[in-house]
Amino acid sequence: MPREVEPSVNERQFFEKALAENLRLDGRAFDQFRDLELSFGDEFGVADVRLGKTRIHTNISAEVTTPYPDKPFDGLFTITTELSPMTSPHYETSRPSDPEILLSRILEKNLRRSQALDTESLCLIAGHKVWSVRADVHILSHDGNLIDASCISVLAALQHFRKPDTSSEGENVTVYTLEERDPVPLSLLHFPYCVTFSFYPSTVEEGETVILLDSTLLEEQLREGSATIGINKDGELCQIAKLGGISVDAVAFLGCVQVALARVKEISTFVIKRLAEDAKKRDKGDLMAELRAENDR
Amino acid sequence: MVASKEPSVLLSHLHRADGSATFSQNGYTVIGAVNGPIEVPRRHELPEEAVIEVLVRPAAGVGGTRERHLESILHSTLRQIILVHNFPRHLIQVTLQITNTPENKNTGSKVVQAGSHLAILPALLQTAVLALLSASMPLATILTSVSIAIHADGKSRKLITHPSLKEFESASSVHIMAFTSHGEPLVVESQGTFTLEDWEEVFETVKALCHAEHNRIDDNAMQGVDGKGNMLEFVKSAMGEKVAQDLHWHT
Repeated sequence: MPREVEPSVNERQFFEKALAENLRLDGRAFDQFRDLELSFGDEFGVADVRLGKTRIHTNISAEVTTPYPDKPFDGLFTITTELSPMTSPHYETSRPSDPEILLSRILEKNLRRSQALDTESLCLIAGHKVWSVRADVHILSHDGNLIDASCISVLAALQHFRKPDTSSEGENVTVYTLEERDPVPLSLLHFPYCVTFSFYPSTVEEGETVILLDSTLLEEQLREGSATIGINKDGELCQIAKLGGISVDAVAFLGCVQVALARVKEISTFVIKRLAEDAKKRDKGDLMAELRAENDR
Repeated sequence: MVASKEPSVLLSHLHRADGSATFSQNGYTVIGAVNGPIEVPRRHELPEEAVIEVLVRPAAGVGGTRERHLESILHSTLRQIILVHNFPRHLIQVTLQITNTPENKNTGSKVVQAGSHLAILPALLQTAVLALLSASMPLATILTSVSIAIHADGKSRKLITHPSLKEFESASSVHIMAFTSHGEPLVVESQGTFTLEDWEEVFETVKALCHAEHNRIDDNAMQGVDGKGNMLEFVKSAMGEKVAQDLHWHT
């Protein structure tokens, strides 16, 4: 496999010089994001996120399995990410690459361990039957900031997904098809989105750091360090991953968390708006309210 | 939701792949990307021709035997149409990501239906060819592919072109064929019980659908096929539009 092309010395110098003049190569402000686009598929649980040229497609599927013996009340939730040669020819199919491991670990920390999806609600019969929810994250195009985009994609797909309605009688569980009963949404407790910051040593002032948001692939290749902050719109911090050797001033870092919070609020409203639009499109003849199988709580 | 039998395509939309295409038909949507000719790992290198790597990735779950089977069909087909001898010691990567399959009753569950994995083959073949065209890969010919289901009921039999998943599963036999633009057969996959006459009828129908280049009007009038379903015309018009778009500054 060919190796990933590293930025040349010229590119590096040009980028550094631009940063010193407070410019980014694509003309954005340091804290400006690229345009976010979100679309849903015809099926439930399919979300397609575009962040600039980065494009992520997530597919959620669910099936009934037996739980782990040590956690008889918990359903299963797995997230799989794979960077295929579609993204860039240097990713091999059999061997996971570094960015891929990083991505799956951060998604794992941010979504699974923060209990974004209530796994106990996936239990059908304790110790015997639970739902296994699987999120397949397909990275179609990589132009930086994979983590933020995948996080939005997975959370949007989870919110869009409907699992088949079930009823249980003793040991028997009946799974109803789409025609029989309207499927039910997943029980999501909160929505921790990720915001990634890239750090560069300042060439103007010694010891200062330049912080960029939503970096492109080139900016990612040239950065000295990065921090991914997972936070929900209520301001509850779910995870922080600080990578790379560069040291960042504590006050500046706290500032990053504030920026992340503001950004996450924007993303949340955007996703909710898109979900409402999609629901309206599906709701032909305003029948949804009557067909719904779930109770209002 | 009723899936459209009319094909649609989006070309060159992934920015880092050399060529890419999103093709949808019959409720199947496949995103294809082509990279190449690129460097090949030494252990896979062929001294006389290019190595073709085909990767089929399902929408949910990891690929299994079904994907490997589809890959092997695609691999042997694409080897015939790509001018592999032009690129010795190189690699041509074809990645096909399935993103949408026709809705089945069990929403959200993994689409596992034994025996029906061939239904997606025409979409995969078509995507691969369109992605190769988008990557400007030198090809000997292009191919077009159509699936046909036969519903035999005693003596009467009914041919359905581009069958839906339901029609596909209830058919007595299904046939997937691909023809080159010169009207030569490349892929012939059949499943189920059928007679030789059935097969010959299918062969002629698919040939008319895929090819129908010269004497088109006569052929179509004879066989009752309208030019609309012609896959070759579709590929040509899609590529024509793309080239016109790329050269919009030219006029």
